[in-house]
Amino acid sequence: MTSSINVNSLSKRYRIGAGLTDLRDLFNIRENTRNAQYHWAVKDVNFDLQPGESLGIIGPNGAGKTTILKLLSRVTHPTSGELSVNGRFSALIELGAGFHGDLTGRENIYLNGTILGMQRSEIKARFDQIVDFSGIEQFLDTPVKRYSSGMYARLGFAIAVHVDPEVLLVDEVLAVGDYPFQLKCYARMDEMRRNGTTLIFVSHNMEAVRRVCDKGMVMYQGEDIFHGTAAEAVVAYSDAIRQNARRVQTDIPQDGGLSQMFMTFDAEIKNVSLLNEKGQPVTVLESGAPLNIAIDVLFHKNVQQPHLAITIRTPDGRVVYDTMTSWMNYLMPDFEAGEQYRIDCRLNTPLLDGLYEVDVDIVPNNLSHFYDRIERAAAFSITGTTWAKGLVDLDAKLEINPSLIKSDLGTTQS
Amino acid sequence: MSKNEPSVGNLSLESSMTTTTNSVSFGFFSDLKELYKYRDLVWAWGMRTIRARYKQSILGGLWAILQPVIAAIIFSVIFTFFVPVDTGDTPYIVFSYTAMVPWILFTSSTADMVDSLVANMGLVSKIYFPREVLPISALMARLLDFAIAMALLLILILVFQVPIFPLGLLFLPVILLVQIAFSLGLGLFGSALNVFYRDIRSLVGLILQIWLYVTPIIYPVTMVPERLQPFYFLNPMAGIIEAYRSVLLYQQLPGPYFALSSIVAIVTLFFGYWFFKRLEFQFADVV
Repeated sequence: MTSSINVNSLSKRYRIGAGLTDLRDLFNIRENTRNAQYHWAVKDVNFDLQPGESLGIIGPNGAGKTTILKLLSRVTHPTSGELSVNGRFSALIELGAGFHGDLTGRENIYLNGTILGMQRSEIKARFDQIVDFSGIEQFLDTPVKRYSSGMYARLGFAIAVHVDPEVLLVDEVLAVGDYPFQLKCYARMDEMRRNGTTLIFVSHNMEAVRRVCDKGMVMYQGEDIFHGTAAEAVVAYSDAIRQNARRVQTDIPQDGGLSQMFMTFDAEIKNVSLLNEKGQPVTVLESGAPLNIAIDVLFHKNVQQPHLAITIRTPDGRVVYDTMTSWMNYLMPDFEAGEQYRIDCRLNTPLLDGLYEVDVDIVPNNLSHFYDRIERAAAFSITGTTWAKGLVDLDAKLEINPSLIKSDLGTTQS
Repeated sequence: MSKNEPSVGNLSLESSMTTTTNSVSFGFFSDLKELYKYRDLVWAWGMRTIRARYKQSILGGLWAILQPVIAAIIFSVIFTFFVPVDTGDTPYIVFSYTAMVPWILFTSSTADMVDSLVANMGLVSKIYFPREVLPISALMARLLDFAIAMALLLILILVFQVPIFPLGLLFLPVILLVQIAFSLGLGLFGSALNVFYRDIRSLVGLILQIWLYVTPIIYPVTMVPERLQPFYFLNPMAGIIEAYRSVLLYQQLPGPYFALSSIVAIVTLFFGYWFFKRLEFQFADVV
């Protein structure tokens, strides 16, 4: 089978600093290395996707994720390497590209649709579907400048997914729009994938990546540092960030520090161990047995009332249990630099047979970023529940009693 | 194509282009084929430009007429009363308006085309489509203005009882096509260059201003010394404007200079398109 997308040592270099100064530069792309400074936005990236596969690309800002999408969608051209995209593609790098505020929703559907490469007749044929999906039919003849940003995004997404692409490239665009619409978008992406559309999804939203993609790739400083399943990639990404946090302390971003997995290591999670009632390390538990997640935290700086979060999930990333000290209304004390504490989190495990993983993170009380975060800090398996499938032991009990009205069946049937 | 092992030494590939895929290809005919695939976008983007221009405007399409009319009136006053210019049997206003309509199409479309890529950089840096769509649409959007102004010209011709020359009118589309080819060539060239050097836009404005005086718009060709005329007609707009006048006012077919204009126009178009395509792959990177 031919690949849907094949990328072979793909690299893209941007010139930084001053633009072209000399007319000769225009045609001499190769030689002018004297005073130009370059930045490798994408460096020697390789991957291959078969039709119907979906790849999540994760990584911090500036890692080259969007550049890969731009290369694949032919907006920009590679400096070196090869790439091939087979089949019609649609790229959601920006929703509603080319929308004109003075034009109505209807006019903009045709405009944006043709920008995305559809013929007028194709748009006409899908017009009702697009309107239906976007849910803006009552504002169809209103200029889009009067739309809310949510409506704008909904219309943009609706048009893009109705290109019926064989390859769909999605950049972090679902952050806009309300929750029900996001669900609708994920559902639509799932549906397209089942119908054989190849998907590349770039996001900071780890849950979304786990949910939509089967493969995952971690980008870091232009390089593809990890390939694996989406769930594995999220773990690898978290580890990479953690490694980096040990080395560099840069400024904390104003916002979005959590979504970018920004870590400062003011508090470091030294160790996470799973203990049974007797305080002995365990990896296998009987369903329902008490479990103590013991977390050793070393404080490198004075930290005031941090929050601690614990997530238990299945290996494919489904959340079984997610909690945080603030949600528990548990106020952590202040800690001082140099102190080390053990935090015991005791819980019950009414779970069904299977493997479970524990993520732990510690964050400042304004939730601006992470102090530290470990995905798959520990894992345990549950045994002894052969009577049910799923995740949670709801402890079903059966009881059989004679019915009160004995003759019911017999009399009504005749 | 065999898959290479990812190698550290990929720098050696540095100057190679994207190797072939079924979606990235180069060449004149494949470029045209790709453009044809996006023909609906050319239309939609042109319509967007027109609608955007006239939405929330009181006079709307009247602006298409006002500009050439006012220019023609001003020149009529100057060259009828202050510095009389001999335009033969044709009243000066008809004489100058006939030239002003295609001239304004030329200047406004060229200016719009040169600006078209930079003005839509947000789109160019985010979404793929053949970039020549933008200048072509910019030109198309100005054709509506031209049609409106042309309608008034026909009325003027009837009012001033200029004899109609049916065979000449058949030539009008040919003259228009030559003009379009010429300005499109310039527009493609200028718009591509303007991405890299924003001076181009101002420079083009200046050149167009000067160009008015080396083209027979406000004065007849007969005022140009005979021996200078071969050089004068190296300016293709001179031949084109004279061709419009020939068929609309003088009941003559376009003269031999129009043939020269046509050749220059076609060469300009090919050169402009080649130049544009040559630089196109860098547009998105040079925002």
